[in-house]
Amino acid sequence: MLNSPQADTRPGEVVLEARGITKRYPNNVVALDKVDFQLRAGEVHAILGENGAGKTTLMNILFGVIQPDEGEIYLYGRKTRFKSPIDAINMGVGMVHQTRKLVQAHTVLENIILGHPKAGRLLNLRKVREEVEEMCRRYGFRIDLDARVWQLSAGEQEMVEILRALYRGAKILILDEPTSVLTPPEVEVLLNSIRHMAKNNIALIPFITHKLPEVFEVSDKVTVLRRGKVVKTINIREASMKSLAEYMVGREVLFNLTNPKVNLGREILKVENLSALNDKGVVALRNVSFSVKEGEILGIVGVSGNGQEELAEVLAGLRKPASGRVIFDGQDITRKSVLERLKMGIGYIPPDRLGEGAIGNFSLVDNILLNLYYDKEFRKSIFLNYPKIREYTKRLVSEFEVITPSVDTKAAHLSGGNLQKIILARVIPKTTKLLIANLPTSGLDVASAESVRNRILSCKEKGMAVILISEDLDEALQLSDRIAPIYEGRIVAILDADNVKKEEIGAMMAGVSQ
Amino acid sequence: MARLEGLSFKKERIIVLTGGRAVKISALSVAFSFLVFSLFLYLEGANPVEAYLNIFSFALAPELGLPATLHRGLFMLFSALAFIVVYRAGIWNVGMEGQFYLGTIGAFAVAFAFPNLPSPVLIPMMLASAALFGAGYGAITGFLKGKLDVNEVVVALMLNNIAFWLVYLLTVGGPWAGSIASSSRPLPEPARAPRIWETPFTSLLAAALAVILYIFLKYTPLGYQIKVYGGNPNVARHVGISSLKVSVLVMALGGAISGLAGYHMWAGDAAFYLIPRPEAYKAVGDMTYWGIIIGLICLLNPLASIPTSIFIGAITVGSTVLVRRFRLPFGLDILFLGIITISFVAFQFFYNYRIKMRRG
Amino acid sequence: MWPFIARSLEISTILLLAAIGELLDERSGVLNVGIEGIMLLGAAAGFIVGDAVGGFVGLLVGAAVGGLIGFLHGVFSISLKVDQVVSGMGIWLFAMGFVTYWADRYSGPLDTKIPKIYDLSPMFPIALLTVFLIWFVLAKTHIGLKIRAVGENPFAAEVSGVDFIKIRYLCVVVGGALGGLAGASLIISYLGAWSHLPTKGLGWVALALVMFSLWRPLILLGGSLLFGFLWQLAISPETIYAGIPAPLPVLRMIPFIMTILFLVVISTETFRKKWALAKPESLGIPFFKE
Repeated sequence: MLNSPQADTRPGEVVLEARGITKRYPNNVVALDKVDFQLRAGEVHAILGENGAGKTTLMNILFGVIQPDEGEIYLYGRKTRFKSPIDAINMGVGMVHQTRKLVQAHTVLENIILGHPKAGRLLNLRKVREEVEEMCRRYGFRIDLDARVWQLSAGEQEMVEILRALYRGAKILILDEPTSVLTPPEVEVLLNSIRHMAKNNIALIPFITHKLPEVFEVSDKVTVLRRGKVVKTINIREASMKSLAEYMVGREVLFNLTNPKVNLGREILKVENLSALNDKGVVALRNVSFSVKEGEILGIVGVSGNGQEELAEVLAGLRKPASGRVIFDGQDITRKSVLERLKMGIGYIPPDRLGEGAIGNFSLVDNILLNLYYDKEFRKSIFLNYPKIREYTKRLVSEFEVITPSVDTKAAHLSGGNLQKIILARVIPKTTKLLIANLPTSGLDVASAESVRNRILSCKEKGMAVILISEDLDEALQLSDRIAPIYEGRIVAILDADNVKKEEIGAMMAGVSQ
Repeated sequence: MARLEGLSFKKERIIVLTGGRAVKISALSVAFSFLVFSLFLYLEGANPVEAYLNIFSFALAPELGLPATLHRGLFMLFSALAFIVVYRAGIWNVGMEGQFYLGTIGAFAVAFAFPNLPSPVLIPMMLASAALFGAGYGAITGFLKGKLDVNEVVVALMLNNIAFWLVYLLTVGGPWAGSIASSSRPLPEPARAPRIWETPFTSLLAAALAVILYIFLKYTPLGYQIKVYGGNPNVARHVGISSLKVSVLVMALGGAISGLAGYHMWAGDAAFYLIPRPEAYKAVGDMTYWGIIIGLICLLNPLASIPTSIFIGAITVGSTVLVRRFRLPFGLDILFLGIITISFVAFQFFYNYRIKMRRG
Repeated sequence: MWPFIARSLEISTILLLAAIGELLDERSGVLNVGIEGIMLLGAAAGFIVGDAVGGFVGLLVGAAVGGLIGFLHGVFSISLKVDQVVSGMGIWLFAMGFVTYWADRYSGPLDTKIPKIYDLSPMFPIALLTVFLIWFVLAKTHIGLKIRAVGENPFAAEVSGVDFIKIRYLCVVVGGALGGLAGASLIISYLGAWSHLPTKGLGWVALALVMFSLWRPLILLGGSLLFGFLWQLAISPETIYAGIPAPLPVLRMIPFIMTILFLVVISTETFRKKWALAKPESLGIPFFKE
């Protein structure tokens, strides 16, 4: 199967070239417009762009998931078509997916050999194991081959994906947002192995949205995409953070948001020794205590899976705590239901917009109604007062600047940013005292994220207490008054956001400084 | 992509299904099943067109089949409504059979317990008891689903079989056994209900229930909560809609409606006023399952299910003509229902995709 | 005593064949709630062909029809992306209609039955062998690993070069064939005569058995033996103990009540976690490929 000529590539040789790649989608959106791209052996060539710039489309074309409408791909100078991902894999192109494509219930080794011709009809793992172990040594990966994937951390899972691609004979490796869910130390490990691989003549293409500093650390070259076009291909030595960001967004980007100081009021929320289990029945939150005052934003920052999800759910009433108390405005609400908390003025913005926050095939009116159905004001005798609800929705749509054809549009038709605005419009006006925002800007484009952040700041200005849960340290530092890194279910420290070092918090998030 | 004589076909994914498209798909799937059924009629040696004319002219003729058509159709309407209200919450109700048996038991238990009450008291009591028994039986499934997330389909099916043997226990040699072999005693005189146009008066009740259910689901806060839960149970949880409350509520509602069907069929119908032999009531119990397909083709719209139920009723009544006049085998009507089901399932493809045709 | 055990083993055989087929389906991520329907169609085909040609041919034809219906379920749920429960329900309702029309006109016992060894149907060892074979394939072979991977995460399988569509089709066809075989052996070996909708809920019990089994063939074997015994006990309790106090209808309820109780027990908090771990992650989820 591995009959392609890549075995004898020389460093610096052009291994992959895309010429004039164009892709249109049925609604006549041009996702990619005459994109050119060149990759050399042993080179790390990052592709940079915002959401919607066409990165995903380009990646899918390079990996054979979809076919371009126009343009050619040359592999080692020969014109090629990747008909499917398998085709791409067999020709030495590997991919490391952002949403991990691993079988969680299987072991690392099983994942690596799945579908591999060497596995044989009857599973004979001994020989394969030796080879994989040898490969780990060569590239400096340390991983337990018999561990089940779900037991591994995000960084380790990424290693498994890389190993799988390498074992398949990949000479070109596409990395989709490789650092987005890793802790700072894990990022270090990953960057090291990227250098290792590059030295071994493997060409790498990381696709990156936000994490600009890491681009500088490891890339040789950067290609910036904007609205489906290549804006610039540049050697990293000639680029600066500011210039790259400008190429991406197309205007000068302000990296600063004004965060006004508000006089703090009463203590709104007090959490005492809170512990909770996760869905698998493992302790996920350990003895957490903190408090938030009126007019204050408390940022809880951590790498995904360190208990912040469970904390948010306990506060919103979605998960029963194993022990501890939650006191809201002087009242013990530990055992109160979600509905009671909503009525008390606690608002929750969940992280998964179409899975938890809104119903895709409901109209905007019906989505806004999610926070009104229990409100007597929006009823007419025993019926829902639909004309009034409609009016109310229209008002919110204009107030929150949601771009939509009408209020009867189904929520699934909205873009991520507009959908998030609808969710904010549903939650915030009914929230009077405490807002819990769980990953409110994840996956949003820069402009929408900015508007969401402003919206959260204005909640604080109105005197609400806000808990912001974020995986993005920069965002958390920008918005919060106090910041609380969370690691393995414990709040490591609660610090004043004004005089704190970013590196210090980064280390706390990774559990280093304990 | 397929090519055909200079035309090219391409399938395109649909993200959000519009109401109009769904209606069209339903109608097409029914039309398609007529075509397939014609094939079966042809294979059985009948002229399809002639057969259809016979079916409907018999089933819709007031002096011939119409009363039976309405009776059958509205009986199935109960099941369809019982399915619809539950499936609006995304939960399958396949327990109409058992709820129907329990409703029967509820109605007869009251009548046998108070045989001397005057009709205006006894009959409403029988109705209430039928609804209550059905609701309780349905609520078991709803409770297990809401509390422990037990698979509602399997539980309901098991409960159906249990209910069958419960009726059997009461009628065949049991406390309610009558003088005719393996049937129950007839109802006492005051329990015999008035009839409208040769159908039980509960036919009107069925139609009224459809209207009430439509309004309930569309305009009340509770109906909205059911819709939200059906739309996405996870979102429902996030806005304080309890899974236990919704699943018990809808299953109890569905059970109550099915329970009323028990009254409608045996206690409201002069042809019976008793629970007949096990085979006979089982055969009627099997009919409740067609409520599922009626509910599905009507896209869970209670109003649309009134004419559809009567239409399906017409086919089952009209097919008796095929047996008598054309000497075709029994069971063709049930075959037709099966065909509608499978063609509806196949047409679900168009919920997700549309086929684009282009020249060249 | 032995005839009773032999009869109950036959019911176990039927449950086992149907359930192991369903288990295979579900391991590849396809839920088929239409096994009752597949069994009905297999039974009808088996009966009609068995009557005309002979018992063994009837069994084979029953299996073939089951495989065909399994394939149909595959077309609906894998290729046409119809909701798997809707498709399964459709197959069940269709089978009820079609079988009533097709087979209810036949009555009377079958002429040719398959020979039995000491009252025991040869289907029993065949079912045992099938269960062992499927266990072996799932646990020890590469194709088994592929099936399990497809059931857990088709995306992961796809990027590893596994054609998940082929794998799923393979499983639904084999699973359907086993369901059809179960139905045919119910009629040809156990009942010996046609009656209206003869499966009487066995298919649904088989579906529940798969849930109890935590998707493991060997637990499934134990469950089938237990429920075969219960089922037969409900039909002919007098062979065990002549003076059983409960009337017949109450006994008939027992297998169904037990099924509900088992389902409730495995749904309680303690079992649920084990269950969640064992459950094929992508079960019942349609898989859209862009």
